[in-house]
Amino acid sequence: MKRSERRNGGTAENTRRRYTLGGVAFAVSSMVLAGPGLHAQYPTEPPPATELRPLQFPDFHTTRLDNGLEILVVENDRLPVVSISLNLPGGSRYDPPGLHGLAEIVSELITKGTETRTAEQISEQIEGVGGSLIATANADFFTISSTVLADHAELAFELMADALLHSTFPQAELELARTRYLSSLAAEKSDPDALATRYFASSVYGDHPYARSMTEASLAAINRNDVTSFAGMRLAPTGALLVISGDISRDRVTSMARRYLGSWQGVAPEVLAAEPPAPKPTEILLVHRPGSAQSNIMVGNTALSPKDDLYYPAVVANKVLGGGADARLFLILREEKGWTYGSYASLARRKDVGFFRATAEVRTEVTDSALTEMLHQLRLMRTEAIPDSELTNAKGYLVGSFPLSIQTPQQVASQVARTRLLGLGDDYLGSYRENLAAVDATAAMNAATVVMRPDSAVVVVVGDGQSIYDKLAAIAPTRIIDADGSSLTPDDLNPAVTALELDLTHLAARRDSFQIAFQGNAIGHAVSALVTEGDALMYWEQTVIPMMGMTQETSVELNPSTFTSRSVDIVGSFGGRPIETHIVYQDGRVSGRAQDIQPTGEIATVDVDTSIVAGTIDLNLIQPLLPFLSLQPGASFTVNAFDAGSNVVRVVTLKVTGTEEVTVPAGTFSAFRMAGTIGDLLRQYRHPAPRG
Amino acid sequence: MFRLAVTVSALAVMGSVRAQAQMKIEYEDYALDNGLRVLLVEDHSAPVVTVNVWYNVGSRNERVGRSGFAHLFEHMMFQGSANVGKGEHFQLVERAGGSMNGSTNEGRTNYYETLPSNRLNLGLWLEADRMRSLAVTEDNFENQRSTVKEERRLGVDNQPYAPAFTEGSTLIYDSTDCFSYAHSVIGSMDDLDRAEVPDVQAFFDLYYRPNNATLTVVGDFDPAEAKQLIGQYFDDIQRGAEPPRIACNYDFEAGARSRTWDDQHANLPAVIVAYRAPPHSHGDTRPLTFLSTILGEGESSRLNRGLVRDEQSSVQAASFLNSRRGPGMFLALAIANQGVEADVLREQLNREVERIISEGISDAELEKAKNAFRASYVFQSQTSMQIAERLQHYIHYHDSLDDMATDLELYMQVTAEDIQRVAAEYLKSENSYTIIIVPKAGSGEEVVP
Repeated sequence: MKRSERRNGGTAENTRRRYTLGGVAFAVSSMVLAGPGLHAQYPTEPPPATELRPLQFPDFHTTRLDNGLEILVVENDRLPVVSISLNLPGGSRYDPPGLHGLAEIVSELITKGTETRTAEQISEQIEGVGGSLIATANADFFTISSTVLADHAELAFELMADALLHSTFPQAELELARTRYLSSLAAEKSDPDALATRYFASSVYGDHPYARSMTEASLAAINRNDVTSFAGMRLAPTGALLVISGDISRDRVTSMARRYLGSWQGVAPEVLAAEPPAPKPTEILLVHRPGSAQSNIMVGNTALSPKDDLYYPAVVANKVLGGGADARLFLILREEKGWTYGSYASLARRKDVGFFRATAEVRTEVTDSALTEMLHQLRLMRTEAIPDSELTNAKGYLVGSFPLSIQTPQQVASQVARTRLLGLGDDYLGSYRENLAAVDATAAMNAATVVMRPDSAVVVVVGDGQSIYDKLAAIAPTRIIDADGSSLTPDDLNPAVTALELDLTHLAARRDSFQIAFQGNAIGHAVSALVTEGDALMYWEQTVIPMMGMTQETSVELNPSTFTSRSVDIVGSFGGRPIETHIVYQDGRVSGRAQDIQPTGEIATVDVDTSIVAGTIDLNLIQPLLPFLSLQPGASFTVNAFDAGSNVVRVVTLKVTGTEEVTVPAGTFSAFRMAGTIGDLLRQYRHPAPRG
Repeated sequence: MFRLAVTVSALAVMGSVRAQAQMKIEYEDYALDNGLRVLLVEDHSAPVVTVNVWYNVGSRNERVGRSGFAHLFEHMMFQGSANVGKGEHFQLVERAGGSMNGSTNEGRTNYYETLPSNRLNLGLWLEADRMRSLAVTEDNFENQRSTVKEERRLGVDNQPYAPAFTEGSTLIYDSTDCFSYAHSVIGSMDDLDRAEVPDVQAFFDLYYRPNNATLTVVGDFDPAEAKQLIGQYFDDIQRGAEPPRIACNYDFEAGARSRTWDDQHANLPAVIVAYRAPPHSHGDTRPLTFLSTILGEGESSRLNRGLVRDEQSSVQAASFLNSRRGPGMFLALAIANQGVEADVLREQLNREVERIISEGISDAELEKAKNAFRASYVFQSQTSMQIAERLQHYIHYHDSLDDMATDLELYMQVTAEDIQRVAAEYLKSENSYTIIIVPKAGSGEEVVP
């Protein structure tokens, strides 16, 4: 009751407006409606906000064990729920050089077996009480967390401590994790957003550890010793923060922490805070993705250290620029120009220094226009004060949405933990909304000049270099790399393809069979054969993919001395409909009729009659070509391949990305792992390596 | 052994009593003259408020030839009203820092906004404006018709197993005796095409009247102020006629049936066994809920242990109870491993069910099911939105808000015998419809690779 009296007294302006409206309404409603009550009139405009209620951020209590572990308790007995999170300075920034991804692997394995429990027993015990237990690693921190009913708080403590202090990191679990991460890295290569994120981090942070991320090489290099020594060295009580929130007393927390974590000892070796690279004039890093239909653009720079007071006005400026569907980047690049599905901006907070980043995924042909517009919008934020209405809307969202993020004990715990870990003061959360509400247009503009630096920014564009390089180079100096990070020159974008040097001494009749996999699952199979018929070499392939309703038989007649095609005939069916291609290669021309399946499922028919340069092979010959290339680690081959279904010549780059052991019914073989980029598609091949 | 069991169950009862004591929800329950039922729950633990409206209409109210209409209509509720422009609903909530959405199932349609508590007036006004003056235009309607058809294409037609799961499972109810539950919520493409603009107005006039709606407000507000605003915004909205009653006849002894289902996207055979279940308000819902947990939910369930780990005949095996205002369904399903025939899978599914019917369940399984239920019940009582949905659930699915105070306790009293009994009563072959999913490339019209 007291509360509402105070509120009515405090909102003179809003209250008066409402009562005035009410007076009018009374007259209207009694005259016209003779309605059911003495009510104010129905408003024809959205009612205005009333006064912001005070936010009582829950009290918290801190204590420290003798081993240095800091404990923070948020007592909240509203519901019988307890959330525990143990946060340690053991994130990926502590990965040793060459072993990037180690912290993440440790987090994956830490709940997968201890001296007294198997992985299954751990999950059964926690599931048996309806709870959860999970470990994660981000750039700065390593976290183990659990949520259970209050009755089971002790079990949560016990399991968490067991994982932390007695995990055995079984070799088999490491191999499982390695396989899973390898396939996700492979998938990442064909994901433009993942590529942009990776190269943005490495460019914006330079030599700082935040620049690094997991690679195939680092993943292959991680062994069980690395895992145990990282866990032994980094998961130490000094600098660790245990946050407990919910229906549990601080005394009980302290006694359980002593019982289960009292014996935990150790001090993690200090790592000096690294300096981010000094700003330099804007440069564009173009990640060449041949044939890409769209470009992923990221523009940004390092921004603020966690305690910087500029944070509040910077957050407001960021919201106005790109914080959602109600912000400038979205409204201009999407709604007005129609260049993109979405364009946003964000401010990331890190322990050393965070970053600002604006992003857009745009059609290839408007890449330069979109980048120019984004840089222009960044400049406007620095030079022109934000108009009142925009400022009000942005602050309305930021101030308003905060309480929605602290409704549950877990949410409270994670906010408090974050505040502590970033070294923000204890009053940070309590005054967060007021600090945002106090931001004015001048403060936001000043903050923008610090955090949005279009003239000393890092720009990463993932897209088709051939189409966009020249236009990007006109905006800022542009460096080119491929998906693996190897440098390319502008000439590499238009490869002068000559006939491949083939080692045809291996030429012999052969028959192979393949499994076709999609995201690791077998979805079909293919059988192929190479046979000599008179003066011709015949390549024959049969493919069946039941899931897509696809069967296809391909026959290619080849010149055995040059491995170039003479004719290609394909007969098959797709979703019950016939599909056929018949084309002939002769005198530098290819002609005939081809059919291809469109992304919509339609079958398109193309009349083919076009000239091709010498050395161009049919796209169907990529697979049978492999035995005749001089394969060795690191080797790369580029060839022009005619794609009859689309009636275009595609530049296909095949690269030996590594070697691996492949086990098939006939035994285990050493094989080259190969990746080929064909337009937007990444194809993976494995081919036996010579013995010895 | 005996002693251990006693200790565990004593603990469980203690725990549940404690949970009850702490989870008692105080509410104020009243109605406006136009029939709008209002529930207010004050909770000042965070400066947040949820405005939540349930309309007493779902796919079960649809008539033959208009399947999917309740959901299509839900989309129309975001297209603007007399004082709210197209797209403005979202914008107003976003600028206030709030979140919002709506959803449709067989028995109800809900709409909600969660806002900082000083914007309670905005949430109430947005709901009132569309309840009093929905804007229906030909353009908006066509636009939403294609959106919903796309939703069906992406979410059902192009997903392996989804058509059999969505449409096949409705076969346990007969479309002449119980059309309400003999069709899916998303509806058929043909029926979506048949819907017309006048249907929208008719549906609005029949089901979207205050006397067919329940408004809950949960969170940090002053009740006097909330009541004043609710009166101001909702009082003069016209009451409507009583919507027609739903007729549905069904029989738990109808006889075992089965059919095959060609699936152009699936590449492994699968089996779904659907059983008729009683309406949610029936006492057997509680043991059936636990039966599903024990049979097929989680790593340690019977189906996962038996079919996935021991026999290695399935890549996935699970069960679940879809409990509804009217008759429900209990599903047991499994997707075959490579090289395993559907018939083998069907036999193994039936064997696991029969084992429970003949041998019952263990004390440990009962405790696990109770713990899992209690935990999820409590975890789902944390936010203002969850509390609002819980009140609505008891009003609509139990026809009694009083059940809210005793329900969890009744769940904790379920015995192993209860579970064995409902398994025998509902999971019998005379009450089942088995669907054998056969991977069949190219058997349909719409194929998108």
